[in-house]
Amino acid sequence: MRAAVRAAWRIGTGAALRGRAGCPLSQAAGNGGGAESGGGGGSGSREAVERLVREHPVVVFMKGSPAQPLCGFSNAVVQILRLHGVEDYRAHDVLQDPDLRQGIKNYSNWPTIPQVYLNGEFVGGCDILLQMHQNGDLVEELKKLGIRSALLDAEKDQEKK
Amino acid sequence: QLIPPLSRSPSPMRGPLLAAAGAAMGGTGGPLARAIRAKLTAALQPTHLEVRDDSPRHGGPPGAETHFGVLVVSGRFAGLSPLQRHRLVHEALRAELAGPLHALQVTARTPEQWQSDPQNPPAPPCLGGSKREKRRG
Repeated sequence: MRAAVRAAWRIGTGAALRGRAGCPLSQAAGNGGGAESGGGGGSGSREAVERLVREHPVVVFMKGSPAQPLCGFSNAVVQILRLHGVEDYRAHDVLQDPDLRQGIKNYSNWPTIPQVYLNGEFVGGCDILLQMHQNGDLVEELKKLGIRSALLDAEKDQEKK
Repeated sequence: QLIPPLSRSPSPMRGPLLAAAGAAMGGTGGPLARAIRAKLTAALQPTHLEVRDDSPRHGGPPGAETHFGVLVVSGRFAGLSPLQRHRLVHEALRAELAGPLHALQVTARTPEQWQSDPQNPPAPPCLGGSKREKRRG
């Protein structure tokens, strides 16, 4: 690990300062070199999760990816968001990161995946998102985030006909 | 008697035979299903309770008891948000969720809600997730 850091310094301070995946070097160092998984703190720590849920107004922890969900419940979340025209959101595949998978459950005190966060706040899993979709709450919550649900436009089109 | 009665069969066979018999009769289900039912009943005094083993729909063998759906109708949910209701259910099943219960779909209604809309949505179809897990370290 130390050799890699030295090599990075030789390559150029710009790249080294950016560290891994565009994170500042100080952050990578804080995670014990960045490349290790399951290190002290690590991707499942409260701080790391907090950063992730605040990254974007809509953050989803799921199995698989929006392009290829690997779980029916996770897929349901992706499909619901898609119905509302929400395609720009952060999705984290917990199957790729066992520390994150446990860390997100600890953070929200919620035992299952998927988990949906709106504006950094835990909203629930697939069942709750489906309920919010069905009773109109999701349109309202998206509006609060400055996101206009595509379903509002769909309704407008229907009214015109 | 050519076929010994069930109660006298050797103990290693007893579990699966009883489970199969129970399933055939559309009855009580396996041990986890019974535990879920018992704990939810004790914690929430539901007026209506359905416990559904979805494991076969997620690639598990019959009787795997890993994925469940529960419909709980209880006055305890009155005034609680969906999130709060789900948390009550999770609390009742804390041990199971820390153990063999891998997935849990929850429908939580008050008796009034259930009367006006008696529907239990089915679980979404499996997309193979648990077979694609990384090994935990």
